[in-house]
Amino acid sequence: MRPKLENVCREIEKVIAGKRPVIEKILLALLADGHVLLDDVPGVGKTSLAAALGRAVGLVSRRVQFTPDVLPSDLTGFSVYDRESGSFRYRPGVLNGTHLLLGDEINRAPSKTQSALLEAMEERQVTVDGTTYPLEQPFFVIATENSVGTAGTQPLPYAQMDRFLLRLTVGYPDYEAQMALLRDRQNRNPIGEVECALSRQDLLAAQQEVRAVTSRDAILDYITRLSMASRSHAAVAVGISPRGALFLDRAAKARAWMEGRDYVVGSDVRDVFMDVCAHRVLLKEPAAVAAVTDVLEDLLKNVETPDHRGLKSFLKK
Amino acid sequence: MALWGCAVLLAGCLYFFENDTGTRIVLACALLFPFLPPLRRFLFIRDQRFPASRPLLPAPSRRLTDEEEPGDVRLWLPGDPLNRIHWKLSAKRDELLVRPSGTPARQDESGPTLSSPAVRLVFPRRFRLILIAAGLFCICCLLLFLLPDARHGFQALCNRLFAASEKTNAYAYDRFPVPAGQAIVPAVLLLAGILLLLLFMLLYSGSRLFALVLAAGCVFLQVYFGLPLPGWCQVVCFTLFALWMARPLSRRGAIWLLLSVLAVSLAVILFLPGVHAGTEEASERVRDALSRAAGRWTASVTEAPEGERETRHVHTLSLAEGDRSAAAEKEYRLVTVDERQISMPRWFDWVKTVFLFLAVAVLPFLPFLPFIWLNAQRRKAAEARNAIRTGDPGTGVQSAFQHVIAWLEAMDAGGGNAPYRDWTEPLSRGISADYAARFRPCAEIFEQAAYSPHPVGEAERSTVIALLDETERILRARADRKQRFRLKYVEFLWI
Repeated sequence: MRPKLENVCREIEKVIAGKRPVIEKILLALLADGHVLLDDVPGVGKTSLAAALGRAVGLVSRRVQFTPDVLPSDLTGFSVYDRESGSFRYRPGVLNGTHLLLGDEINRAPSKTQSALLEAMEERQVTVDGTTYPLEQPFFVIATENSVGTAGTQPLPYAQMDRFLLRLTVGYPDYEAQMALLRDRQNRNPIGEVECALSRQDLLAAQQEVRAVTSRDAILDYITRLSMASRSHAAVAVGISPRGALFLDRAAKARAWMEGRDYVVGSDVRDVFMDVCAHRVLLKEPAAVAAVTDVLEDLLKNVETPDHRGLKSFLKK
Repeated sequence: MALWGCAVLLAGCLYFFENDTGTRIVLACALLFPFLPPLRRFLFIRDQRFPASRPLLPAPSRRLTDEEEPGDVRLWLPGDPLNRIHWKLSAKRDELLVRPSGTPARQDESGPTLSSPAVRLVFPRRFRLILIAAGLFCICCLLLFLLPDARHGFQALCNRLFAASEKTNAYAYDRFPVPAGQAIVPAVLLLAGILLLLLFMLLYSGSRLFALVLAAGCVFLQVYFGLPLPGWCQVVCFTLFALWMARPLSRRGAIWLLLSVLAVSLAVILFLPGVHAGTEEASERVRDALSRAAGRWTASVTEAPEGERETRHVHTLSLAEGDRSAAAEKEYRLVTVDERQISMPRWFDWVKTVFLFLAVAVLPFLPFLPFIWLNAQRRKAAEARNAIRTGDPGTGVQSAFQHVIAWLEAMDAGGGNAPYRDWTEPLSRGISADYAARFRPCAEIFEQAAYSPHPVGEAERSTVIALLDETERILRARADRKQRFRLKYVEFLWI
């Protein structure tokens, strides 16, 4: 992995240890200019992770605790009448000036608020009273969803979950990690020890380089065949959308860049496929999450990789 | 045909080459017969490997020195050992001379032997003259047939053959007007003599063209007389003819020949009725054309007047009525017309003939089509392998690596539907950890060549080619019999 990214991971691991794969995936989403949905039980370090990430990457990070009474204007801002000037003045919301937004328990927010956030995530701007206010670059949202306890919750609909690049789970730490966690927090908070390892400009340059990574037609063909195979799978009601295919390509590019390459290969697509597409596939019958992973693994197993497809066309010549 | 020819040769030699002037001419049939007959006469054998004529028998032991006078030698007598023959002097004198007993003979020189494959039967100059004379005699015999008596005898023989043909075929033939009681034996003997001479000349010349002319003549005679030989006889004769035409025979040539004979036999059997009908009709037409030509060229050969033609009883097959034994008395021209009306149209016979020709021409090639295709794939594979080492390095890298994958998958040592860079573990299990360690970098080179905008260099190509060579070596060494066949299939058919 790139050295600076390695430093970022090391800094974040000061706060939350033993979760290197999750940290790398979050960085992948950051590089791919996407957003992450963390779906996990409470108390596993989702908020700490986001805060550490903000400090390690030098981003202005804010946290929003979604509750049923959070209004869209709390996020987007609102216009208030200024009696002195006799005009309306825009009061920016949480989203303005924020590079990294941690939205806790997004499933508790009302639908209107969710829509306002998701719109901002998609368009990188907010519109208040007909005036558009662009958001800062980069703009990265880590939304968390508490899967335990559905009282007073508004689960994200499928169409809105589709806007997140990755859906990850943090999971519980293992024994050593939890022991280290308890020792570290005896008399200090390690979040203050996180230093900036990657500046905002470096991050923007890295995002630019990721966008310039080459995806050959063979790779695009592989992504297309995967998405089309998901739509025609026997157990799938709704398959991977074209937006999902775009996000898959973007994530594969970020993955290739993190590996030090400026071109995407088939294994990059396979590595990010589960995380990118797990929340985009709806099964025909209500089933556990494991069933979705089975379907996705079945797709990976049966759809020919671009290497094998190249072999077949080579043998036919 | 060979044995037949030998018998003819022997008979011809005994009849024509007996020379009462005392010149010793020895008949040597040891080359042709499987056993060594008593040597009474032999001929000098020329070995085609040597520029000058050298005797077949063991070479002379030593050179003739000045001390040796011709008087020290004598004429060869039956029973004298062959290694006593004084070859140099014999060549000078043009007669066999032997050294007296006691003179040592050196046996270390090796010359052509009886088993030499390159020897050919040739005749000394004297015998060539005799053969020329035999050929001229043959021509004279043919000219003899122009004499009335010889011609009448030949015509009587033809009438006999026409009569035999009428018994088997439905056509009636015009007869040659010959005197009653005309003897045919002299004509038969003359013809047999001419045939023997022709065969002997064929053996002497070894000419394929001559054999082709003889075979064409045999076919013409069958067509003219409407008396085709039995099917098995045709097959045997065709085989002998093909053997003669295909000398010298290699293994592949022998296979070609046998398949050709099989194809022709099959075609003949399938189309025999049509062949018979075609032969009959062809015979009729040819004979009519020849009669008209003969009538124009030789005024003495004329057909019988219209009213004097015989009315023959012929059996016709009445296909329309289904009566196969109907007999009718009809003038033969009318019979012919009726036959045409009730039989298949003429163009169908031509179709069958054309189809027969195509079958004969195409069938021998059919068994070889898989080999022809295999050879084409082999050439294609060789070109593909050559392209790996030349041309664009990126293309060469991809091609070479795809070869590696094809080899691994042919041996079930691949990693399934996973990217090649992820095949490390299955290759470690299936082949070895060292090989897997060398495979991974080559997989990355392949990905660079296939998916990267940056070109690869010659060093990368060499690395992948080295992996390909190692892969082939390892898999061939580990393959069992079935897998070796599979690898050969991969090598020449897949790649």
